[in-house]
Amino acid sequence: MSATATRPETSYLLRKLHSLSGIVPVGAFLAEHFWSNSSVLVSGPKYDETSQGLQTIPFRLFVEWAFIFLPILFHGGYGIYIWLRGESNVTQYPWMKNWLYTFQRYTGLVAFVYIGWHVYTQRWLTHGMSTYSEVAQQMRNPWAFGFMVVGVVATSFHLGVGIWNFLCKWGLAATVRAQRAAGQLGAVVGIVFSFVGILIVVSFRYNWHPFASYLTQK
Amino acid sequence: MRQPKIIVVGGGLAGLMATIRVAEAGVPVELFSIVPVKRSHSVCAQGGINAAKNQKGEGDTTQKHFDDTIYGGDFLANQPLVKRMCEAAPGIIDLLDRMGVTFNRTPEGLLDYRRFGGTLYHRTAFAGATTGQQLLYALDEQVRRHESEGRVTKREGWTFLSAVIDEGGIGRGICAMDLRSMEVKTFPADAVIFCTGGIGAIFGRSTNSVVCTGSAQSALFQQGVDYANGEFIQVHPTAIPGEDKLRLMSESARGEGGRVWVPRNPADKRAAKSIPEAERFYFLEEWYPKYGNLVPRDIATRAIHRIVYQEKVGIGGQAAVYLDVTHIPRETLDRKLEGILEIYEKFLGVDPREEPMKVFPAMHYTMGGLWINDQDQATNVSGLYAAGECEYQYHGANRLGANSLVSCIFGGGIAGPAAVKYARNLEKGAEAVDSSVFAREQKRQEELNQALLSQQGSENPITIWKELGEIMTEHVTVTRINKNLESAHTKIKDLQARYRKINLSDRTTWSNQTLNFARELDNMLVLARVITVGALCRNESRGAHYKPDFPERDDATWLKTTRAKWVSNDIQLTYEPVDISQIPPRPRRYDAAK
Amino acid sequence: MAEGKQVIVKVKRQASPKDAARWEEFALPWRPSMNVIICLRDIAEHPVTREGKQTNPVSYDSNCLEEVCGSCAMVINGKARMACSALVDQLEQPIRIEPLSKFPVIRDLTVDRQFMFDSLKRVKAWIPIDGTYNLGEGPRVSPEVQEKAYPLSRCITCGNCLEVCPQVNENNNFMGAAIFSQVRLFNMHPTGAMHAKERIEAVMGDGGIEDCANAQNCVKACPKEIPLTESLAEINRQAWKQALFGWLVG
Repeated sequence: MSATATRPETSYLLRKLHSLSGIVPVGAFLAEHFWSNSSVLVSGPKYDETSQGLQTIPFRLFVEWAFIFLPILFHGGYGIYIWLRGESNVTQYPWMKNWLYTFQRYTGLVAFVYIGWHVYTQRWLTHGMSTYSEVAQQMRNPWAFGFMVVGVVATSFHLGVGIWNFLCKWGLAATVRAQRAAGQLGAVVGIVFSFVGILIVVSFRYNWHPFASYLTQK
Repeated sequence: MRQPKIIVVGGGLAGLMATIRVAEAGVPVELFSIVPVKRSHSVCAQGGINAAKNQKGEGDTTQKHFDDTIYGGDFLANQPLVKRMCEAAPGIIDLLDRMGVTFNRTPEGLLDYRRFGGTLYHRTAFAGATTGQQLLYALDEQVRRHESEGRVTKREGWTFLSAVIDEGGIGRGICAMDLRSMEVKTFPADAVIFCTGGIGAIFGRSTNSVVCTGSAQSALFQQGVDYANGEFIQVHPTAIPGEDKLRLMSESARGEGGRVWVPRNPADKRAAKSIPEAERFYFLEEWYPKYGNLVPRDIATRAIHRIVYQEKVGIGGQAAVYLDVTHIPRETLDRKLEGILEIYEKFLGVDPREEPMKVFPAMHYTMGGLWINDQDQATNVSGLYAAGECEYQYHGANRLGANSLVSCIFGGGIAGPAAVKYARNLEKGAEAVDSSVFAREQKRQEELNQALLSQQGSENPITIWKELGEIMTEHVTVTRINKNLESAHTKIKDLQARYRKINLSDRTTWSNQTLNFARELDNMLVLARVITVGALCRNESRGAHYKPDFPERDDATWLKTTRAKWVSNDIQLTYEPVDISQIPPRPRRYDAAK
Repeated sequence: MAEGKQVIVKVKRQASPKDAARWEEFALPWRPSMNVIICLRDIAEHPVTREGKQTNPVSYDSNCLEEVCGSCAMVINGKARMACSALVDQLEQPIRIEPLSKFPVIRDLTVDRQFMFDSLKRVKAWIPIDGTYNLGEGPRVSPEVQEKAYPLSRCITCGNCLEVCPQVNENNNFMGAAIFSQVRLFNMHPTGAMHAKERIEAVMGDGGIEDCANAQNCVKACPKEIPLTESLAEINRQAWKQALFGWLVG
């Protein structure tokens, strides 16, 4: 009767996949990445050890492409497509969630560019053998350091808002009350990730290891 | 067999119900409406819809509903159709329920019912305080379904100009104008059902919507469709005055326990809430102990006028009384009356849950309308039917609250099949009518437009309309005095003369609302005269028609339907007996049990 | 006109869909409790601009004037809202009045919102009853469900939620929050639920629920305070469940 297809159209599934991929695997990977990199807060060698551990996982190339690179490429690429389909009107309707809508697009772009640069310098150029000294070296360049901080904050913000969006858009937080709670959860994630991320970057640049005392306790 | 075609004009409750019924009969139907049908005036009905389902165990019956309706209408309604309507009402509620209307519910999941004016039973089903909106949407959705399945063609944004009537005096279709392109076009049909609603605009400001001008009825009247009981105009007791509109405050406010009062001392400057009980005058409760605040609308309206104009104790000496719901728990108000309280709050910036509302009567409804028979909604012109507020059959001299929605749906519901039956039995359908009949009507209407667009005049149509509204509201609403009615009639005729000299401030031919309004105004002036002359001639008081010089109902002389005819370009009143075969007339009083 | 308080109104005019838009300014005599409709009526009665130039009355849609028919949605001082409930004393002057921007302009402030009615058709926003003949009472509904359904059924199809949505624009066919809220309403009804699948299929099509990007402007702009974001979330859930489990388990 109508033009509606009898099964979900691919565009619907792609959009859903975009939303999901932001949480799993991209968001999950970000959490893992921050967690492993946090070892630098203990010491440089500890970081190298963790890095070494990750560099030697089985099926490494497959895991990297299937769970990290391709999902990020898809999430970013499809995200730009979504951006182009919308037209921000935050100047006319400067409401908080409308600001989040707009920021989500810009932080997504910043995060995408930043991640590209980050992967290129830390994964590509190092052939996947990133070490503490190399990263610390890079972080001594103030521009690289600044970009790193901006990138970490943009990515964390994007994840925080993304979690809120995800919970609303999958109907997991359906009531106004649940959506408020989802927003609070997103805010906490965004702030915690930004904080931890900045700590890590600072740790590399200033050779500052606040948990170094853990080693002496052993 | 020849496939007939039906046209419905008007997409409110009656029009939509008629459309559905025609579509169900498998006959193609074309639905014309000025506005998208979902925006029709039925959307404004607030309080509810009556049906004697006896769901509160009070012993209510359809016979009692019938009696209340006839008694409330002061015995002017022909009884057979009213009886059928009251008997059909419970089925109509069931149907609406099946269509998904979000009626308020009891804890058992059944429909809830509340009390309304002119009855002692809980007989009114309701969806918050926006029942008309909910009912209209339910029917709109069903029509949309028929439309998407190809049985209904909607023509929204078209206004009806005239019927196409052939040499044999048979209705063969309509002539309408596209409000965007201003194109005038004729549409043949074997039968046409008119559901063109109210006439509020004739009174300038009323509780009606902008499209309720009565223009279609008047155009039909001038083509030979009789108009009955025009003088019976309902003035609703409680509305919020406004410059653009008098916004209705539903009777349901009183149905849920709202009380009407004024300070005993009109000079009382205190805030309403700080005036003690003893210094408040609950005049409806005092004057009408049996029905109290729920007397019929004509009674309540006259009581408020008496308070304001005779006793001179309106609030602060002004034309206003309090409608007070502040004693009702907030939760009940939000569940049952939110829709109307929100209107008060938005437009006046005062929360009626905290402060008593200030209200005053406003023109609300016409009991009179196109003459139809007492069988199947047929007018005196073959092929033309009418249903809803635009016809006169159901409400006599005064309509009871919550009876309009049921009369619209019932009337539309029988007009549809009646039109189908008529169309199927026609020997010669509209397609066999000579095209010159249609061409002639189209030309007549195009020439009217052309004349208006080209003439250079000195009169402003909006000014004429405002003056008409003032005349009608002052002299032809609550209290009617013959010498005032006479002068009102003369003044309307003057306005008609001035209308001949109007000057349109917009002469374009694209979406020209000024042209459309001018055409409506012409028709409004004629219908205003029908109402005024009808009121002038009827020397008695009955229902909403009140003449202090003739304060009693006079059944010997006036138990008659006024039937206006258009004869040699003028109004001619005739009278015909009322069918009182079921309930013999008895005196109507609400201060004691009837 | 010089004496007394004035109301200054600027109206965006457009003679037809083909013509270019322009602004006209009017000075109207102030009265208590004026709304934007009264301003437009004043202009219709005396269509003379502030500079004294004769012009045409402004074309605009209005009907009930009590915010229940949905006709008079406009952009007033930059915000989408109903003109009848836009009270002059609460507006900054000059009052700027524009047509809704997300719908084709017919003339001046009148726009064509047929898209919304067509969308209602697409999602089958009705209860498919067998017929209008007497089939007895409808299904029982708990007061709790009624209290959830009633606010949804108050949608007046005004289009404000589409107007404020960044996702509704020329780049896509997004149907807008109101439509999904109606899908929720009908899927909630005992009879409507029997056909929920068809509606959900429709919302997974072009212009469907996927284009919602959670800016949540809709709920702020809704004159009837309909919980649109709850409806969107609910329909989102019904959709992915159907997409996933419909395929898995039929």
